[in-house]
Amino acid sequence: MEHLNSAKIILKARGLSKHYGGVVALDAADFDLREGEVLAIVGDNGAGKSTLVKALTGAVPKTSGVISIDGHETRIDNPTDAKNAGIETVYQDLALVNEISITKNMFLGREIVKDNLFGKWFGALDFPTMDKKIKELFQKLDIRIADIYRDAEAFSGGQRQAVALAKTVMFGKRIAILDEPTAALGVRESKMAMDLVCSLKDHGLSVIMITHNMQHVLNHCDRVVVMRLGKVAAVCDVDEVDGDMLVGLITGTIEHKVG
Amino acid sequence: MLNQKSSEFVSVPQAKTSGLQILRYQFMQIWQVLAALLLIYAVFFILSPAFRNVDTLLSIFSQGAILAVLACGTTIVLISGGLDLSVGSIFAVVGVVVGVLIKEYELAYPLAILGALVAGTCLGALNGVIQVVTKVPAFIVTLGGLTAYKGLAELLGSGKDLSRFPEGFQMLGSGYLMPICIMLGAALLTGLFLTKTRLGNHAFAIGGNEEVARLSGVNVARSRIYYYMIGGMFAATAAILEVSKLNFAQSSRGVSYELFAIAAVVIGGTSLFGGRGSVGKTIIGMLIMQTIIVGLAYLGVGTSFQRIAIGTIIVLAVYWDVWRRQTR
Repeated sequence: MEHLNSAKIILKARGLSKHYGGVVALDAADFDLREGEVLAIVGDNGAGKSTLVKALTGAVPKTSGVISIDGHETRIDNPTDAKNAGIETVYQDLALVNEISITKNMFLGREIVKDNLFGKWFGALDFPTMDKKIKELFQKLDIRIADIYRDAEAFSGGQRQAVALAKTVMFGKRIAILDEPTAALGVRESKMAMDLVCSLKDHGLSVIMITHNMQHVLNHCDRVVVMRLGKVAAVCDVDEVDGDMLVGLITGTIEHKVG
Repeated sequence: MLNQKSSEFVSVPQAKTSGLQILRYQFMQIWQVLAALLLIYAVFFILSPAFRNVDTLLSIFSQGAILAVLACGTTIVLISGGLDLSVGSIFAVVGVVVGVLIKEYELAYPLAILGALVAGTCLGALNGVIQVVTKVPAFIVTLGGLTAYKGLAELLGSGKDLSRFPEGFQMLGSGYLMPICIMLGAALLTGLFLTKTRLGNHAFAIGGNEEVARLSGVNVARSRIYYYMIGGMFAATAAILEVSKLNFAQSSRGVSYELFAIAAVVIGGTSLFGGRGSVGKTIIGMLIMQTIIVGLAYLGVGTSFQRIAIGTIIVLAVYWDVWRRQTR
Protein backbone atom coordinates (compact mmCIF):
# COMPACT_ATOMS: atom_id res chain seq x y z
CA MET A 1 0.00 0.00 0.00
CA GLU A 2 2.92 2.31 0.69
CA HIS A 3 3.96 2.65 -2.93
CA LEU A 4 0.69 4.30 -3.89
CA ASN A 5 0.38 6.36 -0.75
CA SER A 6 2.90 8.76 -2.17
CA ALA A 7 0.69 9.46 -5.22
CA LYS A 8 -1.26 12.68 -5.28
CA ILE A 9 -4.92 12.52 -4.31
CA ILE A 10 -6.93 13.84 -7.21
CA LEU A 11 -10.46 13.38 -5.88
CA LYS A 12 -11.49 13.30 -2.28
CA ALA A 13 -15.06 12.46 -1.23
CA ARG A 14 -16.11 12.98 2.39
CA GLY A 15 -19.43 12.08 3.96
CA LEU A 16 -21.29 11.56 0.68
CA SER A 17 -24.93 10.71 1.44
CA LYS A 18 -28.02 10.25 -0.64
CA HIS A 19 -31.47 9.75 0.84
CA TYR A 20 -34.50 8.85 -1.24
CA GLY A 21 -37.30 9.86 1.11
CA GLY A 22 -36.66 7.67 4.15
CA VAL A 23 -34.39 5.28 2.29
CA VAL A 24 -30.67 5.81 2.82
CA ALA A 25 -29.07 4.67 -0.43
CA LEU A 26 -25.66 6.06 0.40
CA ASP A 27 -24.52 6.65 3.97
CA ALA A 28 -21.59 8.98 4.64
CA ALA A 29 -19.19 7.46 2.14
CA ASP A 30 -15.53 8.53 2.32
CA PHE A 31 -12.89 7.61 -0.22
CA ASP A 32 -9.97 9.03 -2.20
CA LEU A 33 -8.93 8.60 -5.81
CA ARG A 34 -5.20 8.83 -6.42
CA GLU A 35 -3.69 10.19 -9.57
CA GLY A 36 -3.19 7.58 -12.31
CA GLU A 37 -4.84 4.67 -10.53
CA VAL A 38 -7.72 2.42 -11.46
CA LEU A 39 -10.00 2.24 -8.44
CA ALA A 40 -12.60 -0.51 -8.39
CA ILE A 41 -15.91 -0.18 -6.58
CA VAL A 42 -17.47 -3.53 -5.72
CA GLY A 43 -20.50 -4.55 -3.73
CA ASP A 44 -23.72 -6.50 -3.86
CA ASN A 45 -26.81 -5.29 -5.69
CA GLY A 46 -28.25 -2.38 -3.74
CA ALA A 47 -25.02 -1.75 -1.86
CA GLY A 48 -24.94 1.84 -3.13
CA LYS A 49 -22.34 1.63 -5.89
CA SER A 50 -24.45 3.26 -8.57
CA THR A 51 -25.75 5.88 -6.15
CA LEU A 52 -22.18 6.72 -5.18
CA VAL A 53 -21.26 7.21 -8.83
CA LYS A 54 -24.38 9.24 -9.53
CA ALA A 55 -23.68 11.52 -6.58
CA LEU A 56 -20.10 12.01 -7.78
CA THR A 57 -21.18 12.89 -11.30
CA GLY A 58 -24.14 15.09 -10.49
CA ALA A 59 -26.61 12.69 -12.14
CA VAL A 60 -28.60 12.87 -8.89
CA PRO A 61 -28.16 15.71 -6.41
CA LYS A 62 -26.47 14.41 -3.24
CA THR A 63 -28.13 14.94 0.15
CA SER A 64 -24.88 15.89 1.86
CA GLY A 65 -21.14 15.54 1.59
CA VAL A 66 -18.14 17.31 0.14
CA ILE A 67 -16.18 16.55 -3.02
CA SER A 68 -12.71 18.03 -3.45
CA ILE A 69 -10.75 17.88 -6.67
CA ASP A 70 -7.03 18.65 -6.48
CA GLY A 71 -7.61 19.83 -2.92
CA HIS A 72 -10.27 22.36 -3.87
CA GLU A 73 -13.83 21.87 -2.72
CA THR A 74 -15.90 21.52 -5.91
CA ARG A 75 -19.66 21.88 -6.27
CA ILE A 76 -21.11 19.12 -8.44
CA ASP A 77 -24.87 19.51 -8.67
CA ASN A 78 -25.49 18.42 -12.26
CA PRO A 79 -23.74 16.55 -15.09
CA THR A 80 -22.37 19.78 -16.56
CA ASP A 81 -20.62 20.67 -13.27
CA ALA A 82 -18.93 17.27 -13.32
CA LYS A 83 -17.79 17.70 -16.93
CA ASN A 84 -16.42 21.15 -16.12
CA ALA A 85 -14.48 19.59 -13.25
CA GLY A 86 -12.89 17.17 -15.73
CA ILE A 87 -14.99 14.11 -14.81
CA GLU A 88 -16.28 11.96 -17.68
CA THR A 89 -18.76 9.20 -16.96
CA VAL A 90 -19.90 6.10 -18.83
CA TYR A 91 -23.25 4.99 -17.47
CA GLN A 92 -24.27 1.38 -17.79
CA ASP A 93 -27.40 1.67 -19.92
CA LEU A 94 -27.27 5.38 -20.58
CA ALA A 95 -24.16 5.81 -22.65
CA LEU A 96 -25.48 6.39 -26.17
CA VAL A 97 -28.69 7.52 -27.86
CA ASN A 98 -29.74 4.73 -30.24
CA GLU A 99 -31.41 7.03 -32.73
CA ILE A 100 -28.44 9.23 -33.62
CA SER A 101 -25.12 8.58 -35.35
CA ILE A 102 -21.82 7.75 -33.69
CA THR A 103 -20.49 11.21 -34.53
CA LYS A 104 -23.49 12.90 -32.96
CA ASN A 105 -23.27 10.65 -29.90
CA MET A 106 -19.58 11.34 -29.40
CA PHE A 107 -20.12 15.09 -29.44
CA LEU A 108 -23.59 15.19 -27.85
CA GLY A 109 -23.76 18.27 -25.65
CA ARG A 110 -20.31 19.43 -26.80
CA GLU A 111 -20.75 19.83 -30.53
CA ILE A 112 -18.20 21.77 -32.55
CA VAL A 113 -19.86 24.63 -34.42
CA LYS A 114 -18.64 26.22 -37.61
CA ASP A 115 -16.12 28.97 -37.19
CA ASN A 116 -18.26 31.56 -38.97
CA LEU A 117 -21.44 33.60 -38.50
CA PHE A 118 -23.70 30.57 -39.10
CA GLY A 119 -21.91 28.78 -36.31
CA LYS A 120 -22.07 31.71 -33.97
CA TRP A 121 -25.68 32.70 -34.57
CA PHE A 122 -27.44 29.48 -35.50
CA GLY A 123 -25.20 26.84 -33.95
CA ALA A 124 -24.40 25.42 -37.41
CA LEU A 125 -22.43 22.22 -36.82
CA ASP A 126 -19.01 21.51 -38.24
CA PHE A 127 -19.41 17.83 -39.13
CA PRO A 128 -16.16 17.45 -41.15
CA THR A 129 -14.06 18.53 -38.14
CA MET A 130 -15.99 16.28 -35.75
CA ASP A 131 -15.73 13.29 -38.12
CA LYS A 132 -12.01 13.86 -38.52
CA LYS A 133 -11.38 14.04 -34.77
CA ILE A 134 -13.32 10.82 -34.21
CA LYS A 135 -11.51 8.91 -36.96
CA GLU A 136 -8.15 10.01 -35.60
CA LEU A 137 -9.11 8.97 -32.08
CA PHE A 138 -10.54 5.61 -33.16
CA GLN A 139 -7.38 4.88 -35.09
CA LYS A 140 -5.25 5.79 -32.06
CA LEU A 141 -7.33 3.59 -29.74
CA ASP A 142 -7.54 0.79 -32.32
CA ILE A 143 -11.35 0.91 -32.36
CA ARG A 144 -12.62 -0.70 -35.53
CA ILE A 145 -15.73 1.23 -36.40
CA ALA A 146 -15.72 2.44 -39.97
CA ASP A 147 -19.19 3.80 -40.48
CA ILE A 148 -19.50 6.57 -37.92
CA TYR A 149 -22.48 8.04 -39.80
CA ARG A 150 -24.74 5.15 -38.87
CA ASP A 151 -27.14 5.26 -35.94
CA ALA A 152 -25.72 3.86 -32.71
CA GLU A 153 -28.29 1.06 -32.52
CA ALA A 154 -26.67 -0.61 -35.55
CA PHE A 155 -23.60 -1.53 -33.49
CA SER A 156 -22.85 -4.41 -31.14
CA GLY A 157 -22.60 -4.04 -27.36
CA GLY A 158 -18.81 -4.14 -27.54
CA GLN A 159 -18.62 -1.50 -30.23
CA ARG A 160 -21.02 0.75 -28.33
CA GLN A 161 -18.96 0.39 -25.17
CA ALA A 162 -15.83 1.19 -27.16
CA VAL A 163 -17.48 4.36 -28.43
CA ALA A 164 -18.54 5.35 -24.91
CA LEU A 165 -15.00 4.77 -23.60
CA ALA A 166 -13.53 6.71 -26.52
CA LYS A 167 -15.76 9.60 -25.49
CA THR A 168 -14.11 9.65 -22.07
CA VAL A 169 -10.69 9.79 -23.73
CA MET A 170 -11.77 12.62 -26.00
CA PHE A 171 -13.28 14.78 -23.29
CA GLY A 172 -12.09 13.43 -19.94
CA LYS A 173 -9.55 15.84 -18.57
CA ARG A 174 -8.84 14.20 -15.22
CA ILE A 175 -11.17 11.44 -14.12
CA ALA A 176 -13.13 8.70 -15.87
CA ILE A 177 -15.98 7.00 -14.02
CA LEU A 178 -17.22 3.74 -15.50
CA ASP A 179 -20.39 1.96 -14.39
CA GLU A 180 -19.89 -1.74 -15.19
CA PRO A 181 -18.07 -1.29 -18.48
CA THR A 182 -18.21 -5.00 -19.27
CA ALA A 183 -21.79 -5.77 -18.21
CA ALA A 184 -23.71 -7.53 -21.00
CA LEU A 185 -20.58 -8.07 -23.08
CA GLY A 186 -19.23 -11.34 -24.43
CA VAL A 187 -15.81 -12.69 -23.47
CA ARG A 188 -13.93 -11.25 -26.43
CA GLU A 189 -15.75 -7.92 -26.21
CA SER A 190 -15.11 -7.81 -22.48
CA LYS A 191 -11.41 -8.16 -23.04
CA MET A 192 -11.46 -5.43 -25.65
CA ALA A 193 -13.32 -3.11 -23.28
CA MET A 194 -10.91 -3.84 -20.42
CA ASP A 195 -7.92 -3.14 -22.69
CA LEU A 196 -9.49 0.22 -23.43
CA VAL A 197 -10.08 0.85 -19.72
CA CYS A 198 -6.41 0.18 -19.03
CA SER A 199 -5.38 2.48 -21.84
CA LEU A 200 -7.36 5.32 -20.21
CA LYS A 201 -4.50 5.43 -17.70
CA ASP A 202 -2.02 6.05 -20.50
CA HIS A 203 -4.12 8.99 -21.61
CA GLY A 204 -3.62 10.64 -18.23
CA LEU A 205 -6.95 9.68 -16.68
CA SER A 206 -7.57 8.34 -13.22
CA VAL A 207 -10.32 5.75 -13.31
CA ILE A 208 -13.15 4.78 -10.97
CA MET A 209 -14.82 1.58 -12.14
CA ILE A 210 -17.85 -0.23 -10.78
CA THR A 211 -17.65 -3.93 -11.52
CA HIS A 212 -19.01 -7.33 -10.52
CA ASN A 213 -16.10 -9.16 -12.09
CA MET A 214 -13.54 -10.09 -9.40
CA GLN A 215 -11.04 -11.16 -12.04
CA HIS A 216 -11.07 -7.66 -13.52
CA VAL A 217 -10.55 -6.18 -10.04
CA LEU A 218 -7.59 -8.42 -9.28
CA ASN A 219 -5.96 -8.17 -12.70
CA HIS A 220 -6.54 -4.59 -13.77
CA CYS A 221 -7.20 -2.40 -10.73
CA ASP A 222 -4.86 -0.81 -8.21
CA ARG A 223 -7.20 -0.44 -5.25
CA VAL A 224 -10.72 -1.50 -4.41
CA VAL A 225 -13.55 0.12 -2.46
CA VAL A 226 -16.02 -2.40 -1.04
CA MET A 227 -19.56 -1.12 -0.50
CA ARG A 228 -22.10 -2.78 1.77
CA LEU A 229 -25.57 -1.54 2.73
CA GLY A 230 -24.88 1.99 1.53
CA LYS A 231 -21.60 2.30 3.41
CA VAL A 232 -17.98 1.99 2.47
CA ALA A 233 -17.12 -1.29 4.20
CA ALA A 234 -13.45 -1.44 3.24
CA VAL A 235 -10.82 0.18 1.08
CA CYS A 236 -7.86 -2.01 0.22
CA ASP A 237 -4.90 -2.43 -2.02
CA VAL A 238 -5.53 -5.09 -4.64
CA ASP A 239 -2.15 -6.69 -3.79
CA GLU A 240 -3.40 -7.40 -0.28
CA VAL A 241 -6.60 -9.25 -1.16
CA ASP A 242 -7.73 -12.30 -3.08
CA GLY A 243 -11.06 -13.27 -4.58
CA ASP A 244 -12.35 -15.06 -1.50
CA MET A 245 -11.48 -12.15 0.73
CA LEU A 246 -13.31 -9.71 -1.57
CA VAL A 247 -16.39 -11.92 -1.60
CA GLY A 248 -16.22 -12.09 2.19
CA LEU A 249 -16.06 -8.32 2.44
CA ILE A 250 -18.92 -7.86 -0.02
CA THR A 251 -21.24 -10.30 1.71
CA GLY A 252 -20.22 -9.25 5.22
CA THR A 253 -18.71 -12.51 6.44
CA ILE A 254 -15.46 -10.60 6.84
CA GLU A 255 -16.29 -7.53 8.90
CA HIS A 256 -13.21 -5.42 9.23
CA LYS A 257 -11.15 -3.31 7.01
CA VAL A 258 -7.99 -4.91 5.73
CA GLY A 259 -4.60 -3.28 6.06
CA MET B 1 -5.51 -7.98 -36.78
CA LEU B 2 -3.61 -4.95 -38.02
CA ASN B 3 -4.37 -5.75 -41.66
CA GLN B 4 -8.01 -6.15 -40.83
CA LYS B 5 -7.98 -2.79 -39.15
CA SER B 6 -6.58 -0.92 -42.11
CA SER B 7 -8.92 -2.61 -44.58
CA GLU B 8 -11.95 -1.71 -42.48
CA PHE B 9 -10.85 1.87 -42.32
CA VAL B 10 -10.71 2.01 -46.10
CA SER B 11 -14.49 1.68 -46.21
CA VAL B 12 -14.88 5.01 -44.43
CA PRO B 13 -16.51 7.36 -46.92
CA GLN B 14 -14.18 10.13 -48.01
CA ALA B 15 -15.14 13.75 -47.52
CA LYS B 16 -15.55 14.51 -51.22
CA THR B 17 -18.16 11.80 -51.79
CA SER B 18 -20.06 12.38 -48.58
CA GLY B 19 -22.44 14.93 -50.15
CA LEU B 20 -23.68 12.40 -52.67
CA GLN B 21 -23.78 9.68 -50.05
CA ILE B 22 -25.89 11.82 -47.77
CA LEU B 23 -28.33 12.47 -50.63
CA ARG B 24 -28.54 8.76 -51.32
CA TYR B 25 -29.03 8.06 -47.63
CA GLN B 26 -31.83 10.61 -47.44
CA PHE B 27 -33.49 9.10 -50.50
CA MET B 28 -33.34 5.65 -48.87
CA GLN B 29 -35.15 7.16 -45.90
CA ILE B 30 -38.11 8.51 -47.89
CA TRP B 31 -38.48 6.30 -50.95
CA GLN B 32 -41.22 4.18 -49.36
CA VAL B 33 -43.51 7.13 -48.56
CA LEU B 34 -42.65 8.69 -51.90
CA ALA B 35 -43.65 5.46 -53.65
CA ALA B 36 -46.88 5.38 -51.65
CA LEU B 37 -47.66 8.95 -52.75
CA LEU B 38 -47.04 8.15 -56.42
CA LEU B 39 -49.10 4.99 -56.18
CA ILE B 40 -52.06 6.80 -54.64
CA TYR B 41 -51.79 9.55 -57.24
CA ALA B 42 -51.69 6.94 -60.01
CA VAL B 43 -54.79 5.20 -58.68
CA PHE B 44 -56.86 8.39 -58.80
CA PHE B 45 -55.28 9.27 -62.14
CA ILE B 46 -56.64 6.02 -63.58
CA LEU B 47 -60.02 6.12 -61.82
CA SER B 48 -61.00 9.71 -62.48
CA PRO B 49 -60.63 11.49 -65.84
CA ALA B 50 -61.29 14.87 -64.23
CA PHE B 51 -58.35 14.30 -61.88
CA ARG B 52 -55.92 14.21 -64.81
CA ASN B 53 -54.79 17.80 -65.15
CA VAL B 54 -52.15 20.18 -63.89
CA ASP B 55 -54.62 22.40 -62.05
CA THR B 56 -55.64 19.49 -59.85
CA LEU B 57 -52.01 18.75 -59.09
CA LEU B 58 -51.34 22.38 -58.24
CA SER B 59 -54.42 22.58 -56.05
CA ILE B 60 -53.24 19.53 -54.10
CA PHE B 61 -50.02 21.39 -53.37
CA SER B 62 -51.56 24.75 -52.59
CA GLN B 63 -54.37 23.35 -50.43
CA GLY B 64 -51.85 21.35 -48.49
CA ALA B 65 -49.45 24.26 -48.15
CA ILE B 66 -51.05 25.89 -45.10
CA LEU B 67 -51.25 22.65 -43.14
CA ALA B 68 -47.77 21.69 -44.32
CA VAL B 69 -46.30 24.87 -42.84
CA LEU B 70 -48.09 24.10 -39.57
CA ALA B 71 -46.82 20.51 -39.74
CA CYS B 72 -43.18 21.67 -40.04
CA GLY B 73 -43.39 22.80 -36.41
CA THR B 74 -45.23 19.65 -35.41
CA THR B 75 -42.41 17.59 -36.96
CA ILE B 76 -39.81 19.24 -34.74
CA VAL B 77 -41.93 18.88 -31.59
CA LEU B 78 -42.70 15.19 -32.27
CA ILE B 79 -39.06 14.36 -33.07
CA SER B 80 -38.08 15.83 -29.70
CA GLY B 81 -40.53 13.46 -28.02
CA GLY B 82 -43.04 16.22 -27.32
CA LEU B 83 -46.62 16.75 -28.44
CA ASP B 84 -48.48 19.95 -29.20
CA LEU B 85 -52.26 19.70 -29.43
CA SER B 86 -52.70 23.45 -29.11
CA VAL B 87 -51.32 24.58 -32.48
CA GLY B 88 -54.82 24.66 -34.01
CA SER B 89 -55.89 27.13 -31.33
CA ILE B 90 -52.66 29.12 -31.63
CA PHE B 91 -53.58 29.26 -35.32
CA ALA B 92 -56.99 30.74 -34.38
CA VAL B 93 -55.48 33.33 -32.01
CA VAL B 94 -52.85 34.44 -34.52
CA GLY B 95 -55.43 34.73 -37.32
CA VAL B 96 -57.49 37.08 -35.16
CA VAL B 97 -54.40 38.96 -33.98
CA VAL B 98 -53.21 39.70 -37.51
CA GLY B 99 -56.75 40.77 -38.46
CA VAL B 100 -57.12 43.06 -35.45
CA LEU B 101 -53.66 44.58 -35.95
CA ILE B 102 -54.40 45.46 -39.57
CA LYS B 103 -58.07 46.46 -39.31
CA GLU B 104 -58.36 47.96 -35.82
CA TYR B 105 -54.88 49.25 -35.10
CA GLU B 106 -54.32 50.04 -38.77
CA LEU B 107 -50.75 48.78 -38.67
CA ALA B 108 -48.83 48.35 -41.91
CA TYR B 109 -49.25 44.69 -42.81
CA PRO B 110 -45.55 43.73 -42.50
CA LEU B 111 -45.64 44.99 -38.92
CA ALA B 112 -48.89 43.13 -38.28
CA ILE B 113 -47.27 39.95 -39.60
CA LEU B 114 -44.33 40.46 -37.30
CA GLY B 115 -46.66 41.03 -34.34
CA ALA B 116 -48.64 37.90 -35.20
CA LEU B 117 -45.46 35.79 -35.45
CA VAL B 118 -44.38 37.06 -32.03
CA ALA B 119 -47.81 36.22 -30.58
CA GLY B 120 -47.64 32.64 -31.93
CA THR B 121 -44.09 32.17 -30.64
CA CYS B 122 -45.09 33.42 -27.19
CA LEU B 123 -48.06 31.05 -26.93
CA GLY B 124 -45.75 28.18 -27.93
CA ALA B 125 -43.23 29.29 -25.31
CA LEU B 126 -45.99 29.27 -22.69
CA ASN B 127 -46.74 25.62 -23.52
CA GLY B 128 -43.09 24.73 -23.13
CA VAL B 129 -42.49 26.70 -19.94
CA ILE B 130 -45.54 25.23 -18.21
CA GLN B 131 -44.37 21.69 -19.05
CA VAL B 132 -40.81 22.28 -17.93
CA VAL B 133 -41.78 24.01 -14.69
CA THR B 134 -44.73 21.85 -13.60
CA LYS B 135 -43.65 18.52 -15.19
CA VAL B 136 -47.26 18.01 -16.29
CA PRO B 137 -47.21 15.79 -19.42
CA ALA B 138 -47.27 17.49 -22.84
CA PHE B 139 -50.60 15.87 -23.69
CA ILE B 140 -52.36 17.56 -20.78
CA VAL B 141 -50.62 20.94 -20.98
CA THR B 142 -51.32 21.33 -24.68
CA LEU B 143 -54.85 19.94 -24.33
CA GLY B 144 -55.38 22.75 -21.85
CA GLY B 145 -53.83 25.12 -24.39
CA LEU B 146 -56.19 23.80 -27.08
CA THR B 147 -59.20 24.98 -25.07
CA ALA B 148 -57.71 28.05 -23.42
CA TYR B 149 -56.21 29.56 -26.58
CA LYS B 150 -59.51 28.95 -28.37
CA GLY B 151 -61.20 31.05 -25.67
CA LEU B 152 -58.52 33.72 -26.09
CA ALA B 153 -59.16 33.83 -29.84
CA GLU B 154 -62.91 34.29 -29.22
CA LEU B 155 -62.27 37.10 -26.70
CA LEU B 156 -60.03 38.93 -29.16
CA GLY B 157 -62.16 38.42 -32.23
CA SER B 158 -65.80 38.40 -31.16
CA GLY B 159 -68.11 40.82 -32.92
CA LYS B 160 -65.41 42.24 -35.15
CA ASP B 161 -65.42 42.43 -38.90
CA LEU B 162 -61.93 41.31 -39.81
CA SER B 163 -61.98 41.13 -43.58
CA ARG B 164 -61.02 42.94 -46.79
CA PHE B 165 -57.29 43.26 -46.21
CA PRO B 166 -54.81 45.38 -48.19
CA GLU B 167 -53.77 43.99 -51.55
CA GLY B 168 -50.15 43.35 -50.62
CA PHE B 169 -51.27 41.18 -47.71
CA GLN B 170 -53.69 39.22 -49.90
CA MET B 171 -50.83 38.30 -52.23
CA LEU B 172 -49.25 35.99 -49.64
CA GLY B 173 -51.83 33.27 -49.62
CA SER B 174 -53.61 33.59 -52.95
CA GLY B 175 -52.97 31.65 -56.11
CA TYR B 176 -50.72 28.63 -56.32
CA LEU B 177 -47.26 30.06 -56.44
CA MET B 178 -46.89 31.96 -53.16
CA PRO B 179 -48.33 29.30 -50.83
CA ILE B 180 -46.21 26.61 -52.48
CA CYS B 181 -43.07 28.74 -52.25
CA ILE B 182 -43.75 29.53 -48.59
CA MET B 183 -44.35 25.84 -47.89
CA LEU B 184 -41.08 24.86 -49.56
CA GLY B 185 -39.27 27.66 -47.76
CA ALA B 186 -40.63 26.53 -44.40
CA ALA B 187 -39.68 22.93 -45.17
CA LEU B 188 -36.17 23.94 -46.24
CA LEU B 189 -35.62 25.98 -43.08
CA THR B 190 -36.94 23.14 -40.91
CA GLY B 191 -34.71 20.64 -42.69
CA LEU B 192 -31.63 22.81 -42.24
CA PHE B 193 -32.53 23.37 -38.60
CA LEU B 194 -32.96 19.66 -37.88
CA THR B 195 -29.88 18.41 -39.70
CA LYS B 196 -27.35 21.23 -39.53
CA THR B 197 -27.76 23.00 -36.19
CA ARG B 198 -26.93 22.08 -32.63
CA LEU B 199 -30.43 22.75 -31.30
CA GLY B 200 -31.98 20.73 -34.14
CA ASN B 201 -29.68 17.77 -33.52
CA HIS B 202 -30.54 17.86 -29.84
CA ALA B 203 -34.21 17.30 -30.79
CA PHE B 204 -33.31 13.81 -32.04
CA ALA B 205 -31.17 13.09 -28.98
CA ILE B 206 -33.85 14.26 -26.53
CA GLY B 207 -36.59 12.40 -28.39
CA GLY B 208 -34.41 9.29 -28.60
CA ASN B 209 -33.33 9.15 -24.97
CA GLU B 210 -33.94 12.17 -22.79
CA GLU B 211 -31.88 10.84 -19.87
CA VAL B 212 -28.79 10.19 -21.99
CA ALA B 213 -29.13 13.67 -23.46
CA ARG B 214 -29.38 15.17 -19.96
CA LEU B 215 -26.38 13.21 -18.68
CA SER B 216 -24.42 14.30 -21.76
CA GLY B 217 -24.89 17.90 -20.71
CA VAL B 218 -27.74 18.90 -23.05
CA ASN B 219 -30.01 21.51 -21.46
CA VAL B 220 -33.17 19.50 -22.08
CA ALA B 221 -35.62 21.94 -20.50
CA ARG B 222 -34.41 24.96 -22.44
CA SER B 223 -34.28 23.04 -25.71
CA ARG B 224 -37.85 21.83 -25.25
CA ILE B 225 -39.10 25.39 -24.75
CA TYR B 226 -37.39 26.39 -28.00
CA TYR B 227 -39.08 23.55 -29.91
CA TYR B 228 -42.52 24.64 -28.72
CA MET B 229 -41.66 28.23 -29.63
CA ILE B 230 -40.73 27.18 -33.14
CA GLY B 231 -43.96 25.14 -33.33
CA GLY B 232 -45.92 28.24 -32.32
CA MET B 233 -44.10 30.33 -34.91
CA PHE B 234 -44.94 27.91 -37.72
CA ALA B 235 -48.57 27.82 -36.54
CA ALA B 236 -48.56 31.61 -36.77
CA THR B 237 -47.08 31.53 -40.28
CA ALA B 238 -49.78 29.10 -41.38
CA ALA B 239 -52.50 31.26 -39.85
CA ILE B 240 -51.22 34.39 -41.61
CA LEU B 241 -51.24 32.47 -44.90
CA GLU B 242 -54.83 31.37 -44.39
CA VAL B 243 -56.12 34.80 -43.38
CA SER B 244 -54.47 36.18 -46.50
CA LYS B 245 -55.95 33.46 -48.68
CA LEU B 246 -59.52 33.74 -47.32
CA ASN B 247 -59.33 37.51 -46.95
CA PHE B 248 -61.02 37.30 -43.56
CA ALA B 249 -60.05 36.28 -40.03
CA GLN B 250 -62.29 34.39 -37.62
CA SER B 251 -61.75 32.83 -34.23
CA SER B 252 -63.46 29.65 -35.44
CA ARG B 253 -60.65 28.78 -37.89
CA GLY B 254 -58.01 26.16 -37.17
CA VAL B 255 -60.30 23.57 -35.56
CA SER B 256 -58.59 20.15 -35.53
CA TYR B 257 -55.70 21.45 -37.64
CA GLU B 258 -53.33 20.07 -34.98
CA LEU B 259 -54.69 16.61 -35.72
CA PHE B 260 -54.22 17.03 -39.47
CA ALA B 261 -50.67 18.21 -38.84
CA ILE B 262 -49.92 15.22 -36.60
CA ALA B 263 -51.54 12.98 -39.22
CA ALA B 264 -49.28 14.35 -41.95
CA VAL B 265 -46.19 13.87 -39.79
CA VAL B 266 -47.18 10.32 -38.89
CA ILE B 267 -48.23 9.30 -42.40
CA GLY B 268 -44.84 10.56 -43.58
CA GLY B 269 -43.19 8.12 -41.20
CA THR B 270 -41.83 10.35 -38.44
CA SER B 271 -42.03 8.39 -35.21
CA LEU B 272 -44.66 9.39 -32.66
CA PHE B 273 -42.25 8.03 -30.06
CA GLY B 274 -39.59 10.62 -30.84
CA GLY B 275 -36.00 10.48 -32.02
CA ARG B 276 -36.64 9.79 -35.69
CA GLY B 277 -38.12 11.60 -38.64
CA SER B 278 -37.61 14.34 -41.17
CA VAL B 279 -39.50 17.27 -42.59
CA GLY B 280 -39.32 15.81 -46.10
CA LYS B 281 -41.41 12.90 -44.89
CA THR B 282 -43.92 15.32 -43.40
CA ILE B 283 -44.37 17.18 -46.69
CA ILE B 284 -44.91 13.89 -48.51
CA GLY B 285 -47.30 12.78 -45.76
CA MET B 286 -49.29 15.98 -46.22
CA LEU B 287 -49.38 15.46 -50.00
CA ILE B 288 -50.62 11.89 -49.51
CA MET B 289 -53.44 13.19 -47.33
CA GLN B 290 -54.39 15.96 -49.75
CA THR B 291 -54.24 13.64 -52.75
CA ILE B 292 -56.68 11.30 -51.04
CA ILE B 293 -59.02 14.14 -50.06
CA VAL B 294 -58.99 15.73 -53.53
CA GLY B 295 -59.07 12.40 -55.34
CA LEU B 296 -62.05 11.10 -53.36
CA ALA B 297 -63.84 14.39 -53.96
CA TYR B 298 -63.33 13.97 -57.71
CA LEU B 299 -64.76 10.47 -57.45
CA GLY B 300 -67.85 11.95 -55.80
CA VAL B 301 -67.13 10.50 -52.37
CA GLY B 302 -68.54 12.72 -49.59
CA THR B 303 -66.53 14.39 -46.84
CA SER B 304 -67.74 11.88 -44.26
CA PHE B 305 -66.11 9.04 -46.14
CA GLN B 306 -63.01 11.14 -46.73
CA ARG B 307 -62.66 11.53 -42.97
CA ILE B 308 -63.07 7.80 -42.43
CA ALA B 309 -60.37 7.17 -45.04
CA ILE B 310 -57.91 9.64 -43.44
CA GLY B 311 -58.61 8.22 -39.98
CA THR B 312 -57.90 4.71 -41.21
CA ILE B 313 -54.65 5.79 -42.84
CA ILE B 314 -53.46 7.49 -39.64
CA VAL B 315 -53.94 4.29 -37.66
CA LEU B 316 -52.24 2.22 -40.37
CA ALA B 317 -49.28 4.62 -40.50
CA VAL B 318 -48.74 4.39 -36.73
CA TYR B 319 -49.16 0.63 -36.91
CA TRP B 320 -46.40 0.58 -39.51
CA ASP B 321 -44.15 2.57 -37.13
CA VAL B 322 -44.92 0.21 -34.23
CA TRP B 323 -44.33 -2.83 -36.43
CA ARG B 324 -40.98 -1.50 -37.65
CA ARG B 325 -39.88 -0.86 -34.05
CA GLN B 326 -40.76 -4.39 -32.99
CA THR B 327 -38.99 -6.07 -35.88
CA ARG B 328 -35.87 -3.92 -35.69
